[in-house]
Amino acid sequence: MKKDLLRIENLKVQANGKEILKRINLQIKKREVQALLGPNGSGKTVLGQIILGNPKYKVTQGKIFFEGKEITKLAPEKRVKLGMTLAFQSAPAIKGVKLIQLLEKISQFSAKELVKGKIPDGRNLLERDVNLDFSGGEKKISELVQVLALNPKLVIFDEIDSGLDLKRLEKVAKIIKKEFIDKKTSVLLITHSGAILNFLNPKITNVMVLGKIICREKDYKKVLRVIKKYGYEKCKKCKLLTN
Amino acid sequence: MVMKSVKNANYLQIDHKVKNIFQVEGVTILTSPGAWEKYNWTRKYFSKKPKEGYFIWLKKQVNFPLFTCVFLCDKNITQNLQNLLIIEKNLNIKFQGICQAVNKNLLGVHNAGGKIILKEGSSLKYGHFHFWGEKDIVNSCYEFFLEKNSKLDYVYKTLSAPKKLKIKTIFNLFARASCKAKIVANCKRTETEIKDNLILKEKEASGQVQIRLVAGKASKVSAHSKIEARAESKGHLDCQGLVLDEGSKISLVPELLCKNKKAQITHEASIGRISEEELNYLRMRGLSEKEATNLIVNGFLTL
Repeated sequence: MKKDLLRIENLKVQANGKEILKRINLQIKKREVQALLGPNGSGKTVLGQIILGNPKYKVTQGKIFFEGKEITKLAPEKRVKLGMTLAFQSAPAIKGVKLIQLLEKISQFSAKELVKGKIPDGRNLLERDVNLDFSGGEKKISELVQVLALNPKLVIFDEIDSGLDLKRLEKVAKIIKKEFIDKKTSVLLITHSGAILNFLNPKITNVMVLGKIICREKDYKKVLRVIKKYGYEKCKKCKLLTN
Repeated sequence: MVMKSVKNANYLQIDHKVKNIFQVEGVTILTSPGAWEKYNWTRKYFSKKPKEGYFIWLKKQVNFPLFTCVFLCDKNITQNLQNLLIIEKNLNIKFQGICQAVNKNLLGVHNAGGKIILKEGSSLKYGHFHFWGEKDIVNSCYEFFLEKNSKLDYVYKTLSAPKKLKIKTIFNLFARASCKAKIVANCKRTETEIKDNLILKEKEASGQVQIRLVAGKASKVSAHSKIEARAESKGHLDCQGLVLDEGSKISLVPELLCKNKKAQITHEASIGRISEEELNYLRMRGLSEKEATNLIVNGFLTL
């Protein structure tokens, strides 16, 4: 229990009066890499957002703990200070605010040094407005730079692999491995396709369907094989879901 | 930042007293009453004999920015400035003007008006910045004359608004003159009234006016922005407002008046609130709600 960095107990979440997450239980240990797979609309992104405390969503039941401290009602900025962060799947543009300005506000590191040594592709983005007219690949790089700037203990990557060609995917995976996993940061990889898992080898792979985590498997290849063969349709018929 | 630069000012006025005039080769800098006395021809530009203010006449190219500072320092001062800036033909000039109350509770009044004349082929990059106290009253009225082929790049920013603020700006554009004007006001506990009028008087004149207004706590902000095309010309208005507080309001009235069938004038106007999505995104980067709001507002005011 003590080794859990993140622990979620019986979490139920609503948005606009609709229940989106149903009794979620999840534990991530320090230095552990886990994956969360699921079809579109299964609630993966909401789980990432609620872990970081997005006020858009309402916890109706259950608790979230980080390093043993309950954070269910903690403001998002305070969660970030504790050491958790999220790379967004679809990050909004902040017009008139340059990426370098944002990095200087949130980070103790020099923005230029940060990208120079670790994410060279980020250099071209520093003087541009945050996420404004960024391509899909540029958005992923921008998110990587921002989460790196926060020096977190836990990073949630929400669909960091979506829309990337194989070469870019490999590049992004290498950065995640070198800058987070090798440095003992805990990682939760939220992914629909599972493409990035082959590069990062998660210890546990969770499958989420219709707002529930129905499967927790050590062998991610097994999960990917089943999904590749039968799609998530088979998961929807899983007896664990009905139970 | 402002006070450090004061010693470099070409014209420095504190309350009613002219503290410094720093002359530059090729430029005549006088008080406006001094110019009225010395040059009869200036009288056509002043509506009446000025009481105070500056006269700056650029006759030769100057390759560094000219700089004026007008401060309110004592309590209950009422300034009445009439300024005149003249740029002779084909000069390319940078100019910066700062008007500021040094304390928040001075109960000062700053009335400033004037004319800026760009002679044929000249160009002016003009930054005009205001910082006021919460109890001051400010009335500003400037008229620009852009002669043939001249070019103006004007930024007016009120970064700290007074209790009452009235800004009126008129841009007169003659043949092939061009103007880019940006008017920005960050308003908190204030009544602000902005009027601007871009008059495209002759063929191929072109102008663009961008307005960005933020209504913070307890603010009433109104802007009436107009383009009048009297000849074959082009103009565009872009007015945007951001309301931050429930008790505040912004009224934007863009107006287009076309008197020539070949003129092309357009406008866009919008008023909104801070996007929850942007706010939450920045909070999930570790910024407090206030820090995130300030960052979004500063971004909005950046043109």
